[in-house]
Amino acid sequence: MTLTNDPPSSTPFSTPLNVLLDRAEKDMQENLVPAEIFNNDDVFTAEMERIFTNTWVFVAHESEIPKAGDFVQRRIGLDPVIVTRDGKGGINVLSNYCRHRGTQVCQTDAGNSRFFTCPYHGWTYANDGRLVGTPLMHRAYGEPLDPNQWSLKRAPKVENRKGFVFASLSEDVPPLEEWLGGGGWMLDLVTQLHPDGMRVAGPPERYIVNGDWKTAAENFAGDVYHLPTLHASVQEIDLLEGIQATCEIGRTYEFENGHTFIGHAWTQAIDPSFTLWGYPEEYKEQFDLGSLDETQRFVVDHEPPTVGTIFPNFSYIRFFSPLPDGPPAVVTSFRQWQPVAPGQLELWNWQFVWNFQDEDTAQRDYIGGQYLFGSAGIFEQDDTVAWEGVQRAAASPWMRKEGLKFNYKQGENSPVDDTPDPNWRGPGVHRNTGYGEHVQFNFLRQWLRTLKGETATGDETTEGTPA
Amino acid sequence: MNTAEAPDTLTVTPATHTLVAQFLAHEARLLDEAREEEWFELLDDDLLYTVPSRQSTAPRDTEVDRSAWRIRDTKAHIRTRLARQNTGHAYSEVPPSRTMRLVGSIEVRETSEADVVEAYSALLLYRQRGIDVHFDLIPCRRNDRIRLTAAGPRLLSREVILTETSLKTANLGVFL
Repeated sequence: MTLTNDPPSSTPFSTPLNVLLDRAEKDMQENLVPAEIFNNDDVFTAEMERIFTNTWVFVAHESEIPKAGDFVQRRIGLDPVIVTRDGKGGINVLSNYCRHRGTQVCQTDAGNSRFFTCPYHGWTYANDGRLVGTPLMHRAYGEPLDPNQWSLKRAPKVENRKGFVFASLSEDVPPLEEWLGGGGWMLDLVTQLHPDGMRVAGPPERYIVNGDWKTAAENFAGDVYHLPTLHASVQEIDLLEGIQATCEIGRTYEFENGHTFIGHAWTQAIDPSFTLWGYPEEYKEQFDLGSLDETQRFVVDHEPPTVGTIFPNFSYIRFFSPLPDGPPAVVTSFRQWQPVAPGQLELWNWQFVWNFQDEDTAQRDYIGGQYLFGSAGIFEQDDTVAWEGVQRAAASPWMRKEGLKFNYKQGENSPVDDTPDPNWRGPGVHRNTGYGEHVQFNFLRQWLRTLKGETATGDETTEGTPA
Repeated sequence: MNTAEAPDTLTVTPATHTLVAQFLAHEARLLDEAREEEWFELLDDDLLYTVPSRQSTAPRDTEVDRSAWRIRDTKAHIRTRLARQNTGHAYSEVPPSRTMRLVGSIEVRETSEADVVEAYSALLLYRQRGIDVHFDLIPCRRNDRIRLTAAGPRLLSREVILTETSLKTANLGVFL
């Protein structure tokens, strides 16, 4: 794969990158999206070069590495990184490639270690990445190698925002808080309702899905239109209600830099008492809502975010369900759409629970969350199959020949008012409907801006700042 | 599980071993032949069906985390899964995957309960879905407890240890 403008000879009908991006820009003005962006080698390569090595990417939650020496192995795009807690309590994001020949110094997904020793020649690094040993040093090198030069590569930027650790492989990014903007405002409403916050309920489960990472990211940006069809079965077995109204009661939250959420007006659709996602009273009693302003309070009570995507590939879902074999629960999952190849992702799924919960309720919510959203989740199973179809159409020789465009025209001629809410006083843009494909476009326009080399913005919602 | 394990399959009679092996083969065939409702009848009311988390770790004996799960189902959870499949709208299994469950390496042991045996087996599940050209393989081991009742063996608990840390099939819409 190369970033050439010449059509690669090995993939006939493949559209050159710049042609495809120009086409995408033009098509998006007409609420269309070229199908091919969801499965194109050059697009994927460009995404690695311009997005994943060039912006903030979530790597871990601090509850995964609570103790000195704890580490988890993660990915930033295609790159394996080790996220460590060093002896001073600091969090490090290290390349997992030995500086000598590149062999991976860490061969496990998680653990606790002060050192990482390369299995090839034995170069040894402390868990802050510093080179501390080279076998047979005197005969081999004569003097110790300079650790300032030969330590594991460190992600240039790492920030721990209220437990969520993000890293950037580029120095040239805005501070995380600025980058997240309204997305951070919304993450607070999701995870900071109790001073003790949330933690992972277990390690991430992982599964390969033959869908493009963007398909999953745009779905979680707020595709509520698919619920009454793809997930109809969940309502038919009474584990969900109000599915037909999902677009009517949808509420969009579109922030800068492509971060996007969508909520549902549950109190309107189900019952006025169904505030705070429908959490049981014993949970609501624990929440400290005193510091929320009027807008925040209204959002969490009446139109709380159901799903969301922090650009590029970190998403969230919180859902109420009357689970089988137990009391109803509100479950919370964060997930990451790890790009593997064009049209293929690895899904990483973490259930989250509140730190104030006792072991029993935490376990119940964890299991309930897996029952709904996970590799065996009764919602998610069906998503995985639908997403496969998108990238197949995107790779179709016939459809490439036709220049197939996907229809994102919802709302163009609809009687529904999908214009921005003029009374909205929170960050970004808010719409009082789930109709329209504004959330998908908020994500995709950021994707396009980034691939076209435009830089992140600190305060605008839908317009990028030209580089 | 005993700490010092001997090849003690002979702690059960050959008849019991055969009975349990037949049971494992039979339930696999029911699932392969899309006879889930008949399979459901073979589940004990106290069933616990779990797929614990597995990660690459050192030492190796910490790979499986029995406090973390992909699935932790009771019989009620499985009843609901079947009800969903029966709606005809559980699209990951519309049409149902064509499957072949190869069950082998069966060991059967006594437990402290007279009417309960442990059965260890290996399962290789071939799965091909809809109009897919490709197929998925799901390799795993299963640690079962089986209750021997007058009506025949019933699955009391099943712990599925996936061979893979990252599944190469997009979902676990099939029973293991």
